[in-house]
Amino acid sequence: METVQHILVYLILALAVAYLVYKFLLPKSLIHGGKKNSKDCSQDNCGCS
Amino acid sequence: MSKNINVALIGNPNTGKTSVFNQLTGLKQKVGNYPGITVEKKEGICKLPRGVKAHILDLPGTYSLNTTSLDESLVVELLLNKNDKDYPDVAVVISDVENLKRNLFLFTQIKDLKIPTILVINMADRMSRKGISMDIEAMEKKLDTKIALVSTRKGQGIERIKELIADYKNLSSAPNVDAKRISPEYFERLQKTFPNEDLYKLWLVITQDVNFMPIEKKHIEDATSFTTKSKEELKKLQHKETVLRYQFINNTLKETYKVDFLAAKGFRASLDKILTHKIFGYLIFFVILLTIFQAIFDWSSYPMDFIDEQFALASEWIKNTLPPGVFTDLLAEGIIAGIGGIVIFIPQIAFLFLFISLLEESGYMSRVVFLMDRLMRPFGLSGKSIVPLISGTACAIPAVMATRTIENWKERLITILVTPFTTCSARLPVYLILIALVIPKGTILGLSYQALTLMLLYLIGFGMAIFSAMILNKILKIKSRSLFMVEMPTYRLPLLKNVAYTVLEKTKSFVFGAGKIILAISIVLWFLGSNGYSEDFKNAEQIVNDRIEQEGLSTYSKNYIQNNIDAYRENALAEGIAPEVIQDSIQSMTHDLRERAEAQEIASYKLEHSYIGQAGKAFEPLVKPLGYDWKIGIAVLTSFAAREVFVGTLATIYSVGSDEEETIKTRMAAELDSSGRPLFNLASGISLMLFYAFAMQCMSTLAIVKRETNSWKWPLFQLGFMSVFAYLVALIAYQILI
Repeated sequence: METVQHILVYLILALAVAYLVYKFLLPKSLIHGGKKNSKDCSQDNCGCS
Repeated sequence: MSKNINVALIGNPNTGKTSVFNQLTGLKQKVGNYPGITVEKKEGICKLPRGVKAHILDLPGTYSLNTTSLDESLVVELLLNKNDKDYPDVAVVISDVENLKRNLFLFTQIKDLKIPTILVINMADRMSRKGISMDIEAMEKKLDTKIALVSTRKGQGIERIKELIADYKNLSSAPNVDAKRISPEYFERLQKTFPNEDLYKLWLVITQDVNFMPIEKKHIEDATSFTTKSKEELKKLQHKETVLRYQFINNTLKETYKVDFLAAKGFRASLDKILTHKIFGYLIFFVILLTIFQAIFDWSSYPMDFIDEQFALASEWIKNTLPPGVFTDLLAEGIIAGIGGIVIFIPQIAFLFLFISLLEESGYMSRVVFLMDRLMRPFGLSGKSIVPLISGTACAIPAVMATRTIENWKERLITILVTPFTTCSARLPVYLILIALVIPKGTILGLSYQALTLMLLYLIGFGMAIFSAMILNKILKIKSRSLFMVEMPTYRLPLLKNVAYTVLEKTKSFVFGAGKIILAISIVLWFLGSNGYSEDFKNAEQIVNDRIEQEGLSTYSKNYIQNNIDAYRENALAEGIAPEVIQDSIQSMTHDLRERAEAQEIASYKLEHSYIGQAGKAFEPLVKPLGYDWKIGIAVLTSFAAREVFVGTLATIYSVGSDEEETIKTRMAAELDSSGRPLFNLASGISLMLFYAFAMQCMSTLAIVKRETNSWKWPLFQLGFMSVFAYLVALIAYQILI
């Protein structure tokens, strides 16, 4: 049971880190293949409320 | 087979283009009753009769094709370039029934580009109230077009627009005004030099800074067979063009458009006189602001406390129900605490946007823009800078983009640089929790100190933006100045649907946009706070137990036990329980409380020697002079990604190892500094609020500033200047107040 709990924790941690890297560190051009993001920060849900 | 056509929605600002776009495409772009909502083109699809499918483009508002700003150039360059993939098969010019004369100026210009053009007259529901009557059939003949009379508020006339677009091939593309009449001799020469090009398009390229393929401005200027005119002569010809167009428009409207001016006057004019008055205007605006901030505090405190308690209960429930282990701890201390740090602020954010949306919808916001223009001018800002500065109370990102409506580069750059000082909604959670902790609950003249503090913070942010603008205006050596023109929309009762939509969208964007970041950071912080590599961390239990054995419990733990006993004794006596029974209960209670206090001391020791504790301790010397401990230091550091993570970070840090069913506020209030005083006291609280008021803590804003200025120089300048300034102000405030 303890092992399962550890696995779950590391899985969620990896997801959280991956999301933060995607959000702040990865260049936008890499994510959108060089194209302009059609849902970028000009819109409300830009992650900065 | 369905046919795809391009449709461009064009019009003066604030004519309801975005509303028409939303109703045609079923999309939900933000709609406002003040100009500058659309600063770049938006796209959508609309199914039309007879199997025609339209690709609809909502272009930024423009008063004419004589461009003065970046967003207006976008419109002209698209309309001039037939090779553009978005070049319209049909242009739909949206006009406002009350300002038809001015709106028709743009219409005639577009018609002269020989693009099939439809005229949409919006806000038709106001016609009877304003005493307006029109002969649509005669107007269609005079303008050589088809007209749709529409009321987007009532959803009327949209089908007619769809019919007309589907039938676009039957529209006339003949010009309204013959361009040669501007200067027959000059246009004759132009035609000879470029026989295959459209004269009016060439004229637009000659008179302004736009280009279109294959003819570019330089191409015309370099043509040896054609001598162009001087700038002054071209300006004169532009004026002549304006006169010709208005002659045509007046002639058209004289026979087709009637206004009963007696009915048109009255309420709006009187209200404008008061709301834009030199003294009363500001006074009314100030009272409105006060009411908003008072309401945010008074109305939202109940749902806020309720949410806080529910999350504390949920955390407790998880710990008691799930099998003990690291995953249960992560759920209870990391995820639930993190989500709690987001959800708790929903009521305040919803109330703030409820009021902002009501002001926008009613038309009052444009009066504020006009009113503020008087204040802006001495500081080197345009009146148009007010739109970004007010939008900045929601989020600096769309606000920075809204600066595109400012024609003058210097004014635009200054506005971009100072906009992040205005209090955005991400700062609100930080302010609210700190105000609740350090500002007393008393009132003065019926207004609570807490609401007044919040309003003061908004004013400080705004004041700092203006002050910085003044300094930048002196430092930046760029000469030029632009004219200020703002649309004064009619007052209207806010549409409940639009208000509800704005409130819902803004709240959703906070919860799902910012919330994801807060949750991810909470999870990472929980992990870093629950693990460590040092021997102190691994042997925490032994070390703390040895220390308690030798020195006894810490002052914090002793206070904690004593406060609980006192509270119990007071309640028990009030309930009439016999003193000897109370004494027995206290004895067994003391044992339990001591065990909890010991567990808490072990958890605190572990946290202090965890990864995050080590990092925080290394960072502490930098924030200590501001009155913060290493835990606040970590919260400040993580806030540089996005400032709204502050509360979530502290909630997570304080939850690690906690067995108590406590709210975020209680945990923060219970923190003591090294001298045994509350850590969040007036001095450190004010210092923190000032730091957050001035620091540049939003990576998304920095990215958008880079995009808008096309250089890393300005965002880095912003980051450096604002952060250093914030540090110094926070330092001075703490040192004075301590």
